Amino acid sequence: MAQRGTYQRYLNRFGWFCVTPAMVLFSLFMLYPIVSSLYYVTRRWKGMSNTFIGLGNFVRMAHDQVFQGALANNFIFMVIQIPIMIFLALMLAVLLNQGIRRFRGPLRLAIFLPAVTSLVVVSVLFRVLLQQNGMLNNVLLDAHLITTPIGWLNDAFWAKVTIILAMTWRWTGYNMVFFLVGLQSIDTEIYEAAEVDGASKFRQLFSITIPLLMPVILFSLVTSTSGTMQLFDEPNILTWQGGPANATMTAALYIYRQAFFVNADFGYATAMSYVVVLISGIFAIVQMRLLGERKAK
Amino acid sequence: MKKRMFIVLALVATLVVGLSAQKKLTVWCWDPNFNVYAMKQAALVYNKTHPDVNIEVVDMAQDIEAKIISGLQAGGAGLPDIALFQDFRIEQFLQDYPNAFVDLKAAGVDYSKFAAYKVGPMTVGNHVYGIPFDTGSTGLWLRTDYIKEAGLNPDNYAGKKLTWSEVIKLGVQVKAKTGKPLLAYQSDNFDMLRIVVQSTGGQFFNTDGSLNLRSDAFKKSLTLFKELNDKGLLYPVVGWSDWINAINSDQAAGFLNAIWMVGSVKSRPENAGKYMIIPTPKIEGVPGASNASNNGGSSWYVFSSSPNKALAVDFLKSVWATTTPDTLAFYNDILKGAGAMGTYLPSQQGSNYTARDSFFYKNQAIYHDFATWMANVPVLRYTPNYVPMRDAVAHATLNYFQGKLKTVDETIAAAESEYKQVMGQ
Amino acid sequence: MSMVRNWSIGRVLILVILLGAAAISIFPFIWMIVGMTLNPNDVLKGILVPGPEFASNWNKATTSYNLPVFFFNSLKIALLTVIFGLVVNGLAAYGFEKHQSKARDKVFGVLLLTLIIPQIALVIPMFRMFAFFRLLNTHAAIILPSIMSVFIIFFMRQNFKMFPTEIMEAARVDGASEFGIFVRIVTPSMQATYASAAIYLFLGQWNSYLWPLITILSDEKKTLPIAMASMMSAYTIEYGALMVIVCISVLPVLVLFLAMQKQFVAGLLGSVK
Repeated sequence: MAQRGTYQRYLNRFGWFCVTPAMVLFSLFMLYPIVSSLYYVTRRWKGMSNTFIGLGNFVRMAHDQVFQGALANNFIFMVIQIPIMIFLALMLAVLLNQGIRRFRGPLRLAIFLPAVTSLVVVSVLFRVLLQQNGMLNNVLLDAHLITTPIGWLNDAFWAKVTIILAMTWRWTGYNMVFFLVGLQSIDTEIYEAAEVDGASKFRQLFSITIPLLMPVILFSLVTSTSGTMQLFDEPNILTWQGGPANATMTAALYIYRQAFFVNADFGYATAMSYVVVLISGIFAIVQMRLLGERKAK
Repeated sequence: MKKRMFIVLALVATLVVGLSAQKKLTVWCWDPNFNVYAMKQAALVYNKTHPDVNIEVVDMAQDIEAKIISGLQAGGAGLPDIALFQDFRIEQFLQDYPNAFVDLKAAGVDYSKFAAYKVGPMTVGNHVYGIPFDTGSTGLWLRTDYIKEAGLNPDNYAGKKLTWSEVIKLGVQVKAKTGKPLLAYQSDNFDMLRIVVQSTGGQFFNTDGSLNLRSDAFKKSLTLFKELNDKGLLYPVVGWSDWINAINSDQAAGFLNAIWMVGSVKSRPENAGKYMIIPTPKIEGVPGASNASNNGGSSWYVFSSSPNKALAVDFLKSVWATTTPDTLAFYNDILKGAGAMGTYLPSQQGSNYTARDSFFYKNQAIYHDFATWMANVPVLRYTPNYVPMRDAVAHATLNYFQGKLKTVDETIAAAESEYKQVMGQ
Repeated sequence: MSMVRNWSIGRVLILVILLGAAAISIFPFIWMIVGMTLNPNDVLKGILVPGPEFASNWNKATTSYNLPVFFFNSLKIALLTVIFGLVVNGLAAYGFEKHQSKARDKVFGVLLLTLIIPQIALVIPMFRMFAFFRLLNTHAAIILPSIMSVFIIFFMRQNFKMFPTEIMEAARVDGASEFGIFVRIVTPSMQATYASAAIYLFLGQWNSYLWPLITILSDEKKTLPIAMASMMSAYTIEYGALMVIVCISVLPVLVLFLAMQKQFVAGLLGSVK
């Protein structure tokens, strides 16, 4: 019996041995930053010196329309880009899965390909393609679809479109693969039964495919939402520092600029990042709830 | 006492350098056709007398100041020995990082030999921190081939002190015939507006450092810009490199900028013989308005964190602030090679100041012209808050162009409020 | 008869949509490969016929831009992250799954909670910390914080669930040590999981931008994404050389993807089960 206790203790010690390296790194690069941010958030930085200002950074934020505009941009990208992308990804997945047999492999491969590029590469490519005298404008002009070049990068409205285009190009194929995996796990007998009942293909899509895919759709919604909340690479490189005139400024980019670019205002930047964490948290909880409810059914 | 110490230190350092193996200096600057080129030339001059010093000139991107802020916050980690700062940016750094730079006055630099307006921004009390580099005397750069294509004679404009309404008339004619907008324009950038406001002697800040965007000069300049935009005379791009690219791919019939564009224009052989530069146009109805202005201008600084401070100071002093045949020849070379017009007064007698340049339309003596205009440029006050002001005004101006803001007054109000918000005031 | 049905209007339409999507997806790749052979102006115009400039672009990329340095920096950083990451996260996932205890379950719960924290919220204290330890502008600053990944621990733990505990018990009876069981018995049979985790870690590091952007100052320490981004914000952009660097930065990922499609997708999808 005593021996058994020693053995249990040995196993328990081994368990701690396994998780310790990860926990050390976690403490250094996750816990410590979180705890120390409590200090930064109460201070105002100016060069190398800083002063205690209590909740002053939050008061400042309440008046900062640039930050509010940046948050609004995050929401705009979220509300417009994610549905478009999920719709396209879902459509392509269904068409690939049911529409054709031949070429399925190569087509899937081709549509997934953008997912191998980094966000930096995507931003670089689109910035070059969407120049005022760039490729896309030339094609549109030659096709007589437009008469003057579109200001993809220097018009406040079109710059947002540009970000959405780039994100959609990068992520549609990626999400499509999620959905394909989901579709393949749906039993074909369900469709056969529906066929017998005389349900049309459309009917089948809305009453069988989409409901059964819901967990996957929600999962991709969760990851896309958190990705969009952190949007940084594209507005910084593709639309040139959140331009034009802050039209594509995002929360993460504005935080970066306040902390590392224009000033070194670590206090204010930390306070803004608290708001971003709070919003991400709320989204995550709401979406997890939705996901949980689905699973419970 | 301090001064003598420094000289002794510098001497010891040079001795040590002479004896030891290769010493390395790193310099950060940002334009391969301009200040990178000039600094590489300077390195060659220094290497004649100090062959053992390896001077590496790094071409930084436009986030150079961000990198420097990071380095300063980290106590100097990753910083070079010497960096180039925009004159409009340095006051912020001298204020926020008071111990970050080496006092060059204490190191024996004679500032009476530099243009006084350059020394102002780098001075804090009795300390002076930089070696002034270049001036940004501006002019209106015009493509004579497009003017001819529009059925006009470029010679009728050469050397003329035009008003903006005359320029608009020219622009409309060129646009109608060639389809080219007159000016390549960075729609998120402040430079052109600054040039126009400065030409009137206007200021963006009051003497006490508070923001002043409600001057008549500023309002008239904004109105002018709106007119240029609405008449289709601006070719809008975002970002510096896209602007250069627009110029060098024939998207516009000209641009308004400083002498330091010589390098970028010359970097494309096809531009030869095409450009003519006339005085900065004058804005009408503003008292004090002139046909001269300035844009940019930057200076060299040594970081206190540099382990090779003394060597860096010696390098800057002996190439950029000494009157020897070699250094005068160097200043003369970079003027023609890259349009770098030094602000070291003894250097301004070089032969290139009067030489004609065959790269320009009818061999225009552009350096002579720019130098002449420079004499009339009103001085602009920068303050440590120039960058937030610049960005706020640029953003509001773009929104005015794109119709989000309806009037000049609304535009000014929007710029003021963004400035306050970003500054946390 | 069946031919007619196979090629009904609906089928054609579906094929056209899919081919269109595939074309849009592939086009930028073709364009950037062709771009390597063009002069800057032709790159912008989007010309799709190869030109004669490859040698000069390659030259510029490797001499004026230090492409080999950027590439090997990226490779070194990514590979070290993968190696350390697999060891640390694999061990942790194994510990959490196969040696469960109430305390460790609580720790795991805390780990999961932090998944919602965006990176931007952590970079400021981390920057101050690395500055304090004089580790700014080093590759260690990029590698150290990305070794431990809560997501990878979670993903690997899910996969360790499928490893039968009976085999471990049998090995114990044979007198194997716990560490021996993990190294000699469990790890070898989890190769697919490790491969997916490796790909995930590699991609994350190879592509990372924000943190290296903050920590790396000097040219000789830059990674490919940082190099590309600073080329884009340089005062003059050499588009031809840029396309060379872009292609080189995509190439390893592309090869990895084509060679290990299955693990690649599993690595991306992680735990979507």
